[in-house]
Amino acid sequence: MTSSDGERLFLVTGASSGIGRGIALRLSATGARVIALGRDADRLGEVVRECGCPERMHPEIRDLAGEIEQLPGYVRSLKEKYGKLHGMVSCAGVSEIRPLQVLKYGDCKRIFDINYFAPLMLAKGLLDRRHNVGRGTSLVFIASIEAHLADKGMASYAGSKAALVASVRSISREVAASGIRVNAISPGDILTPMTAKVEGMRNDRSHFYPLGFGTVDDVAALALFLLSDDARWITGQNYILDGGHP
Amino acid sequence: MTHEEFLEKFQDVLQTEEPLGMDTVLEDLVEWDSLARMATVAFLDSDFGVGATFEDFVEMRTVADVARKAGVAS
Repeated sequence: MTSSDGERLFLVTGASSGIGRGIALRLSATGARVIALGRDADRLGEVVRECGCPERMHPEIRDLAGEIEQLPGYVRSLKEKYGKLHGMVSCAGVSEIRPLQVLKYGDCKRIFDINYFAPLMLAKGLLDRRHNVGRGTSLVFIASIEAHLADKGMASYAGSKAALVASVRSISREVAASGIRVNAISPGDILTPMTAKVEGMRNDRSHFYPLGFGTVDDVAALALFLLSDDARWITGQNYILDGGHP
Repeated sequence: MTHEEFLEKFQDVLQTEEPLGMDTVLEDLVEWDSLARMATVAFLDSDFGVGATFEDFVEMRTVADVARKAGVAS
């Protein structure tokens, strides 16, 4: 990140927990301002308290699964409230194991709404040239290693993340001439307070990761790099962050 | 659709800060690049059911020309 991060403004979705929370906190620690978007007011309040810099952490409560078509307009309202944006990290998502036997269209639609259509509509709003700072703007989408591995039971989830990765490449080409970059990160299993409680994750999947399970900080470090000007020649890429998963 | 509604929608398509007028010349807009042309073709198709190609922009020089293509202006 640069020394002028105090003037930078980023939108982070899914900021009340897990990867989004970690990225929001690390971004604010660099001096950037963060619009921390999440569904849970109490947990967003904790993020604001933990950052120790409430003037740089702006909580926004919104369920991205609702009124997706209104999201570009919502980004416009954020711009009017906080100023033009320098970028976004899209972390909000939902993961469900649904083998075909129990897969329902409604489940698929909900997963795609949250994991794919909502990030896409947020990007539409943020990439409106009236709403961002132009050259140097950077977007990062948190996808998943499932977009590439597509394990059993993940047809809908893996499909939603693969769609996101494909769209990142297309969008990056639309905005490259404006000096705006768009990338994705596809993490493997990340230990969060939620997943750490799932003993099955430790027992059943640890052998996939020669470097051990990932942490929120592992993802945040790459996200911050991709947001920074140090990554000025990187766009349309998808980084698989998997601790050596074969 | 009224002229005003068309202008508001087309301004969003072009993502320009400046309000558009029917007499606005497309080539005078800094936003009028190849992506804007692509977006305009898609706008005519999705919102008006009107097919257009890049070649049509030889004739469509102003916002009014686009509105006429959309069937909004005569």
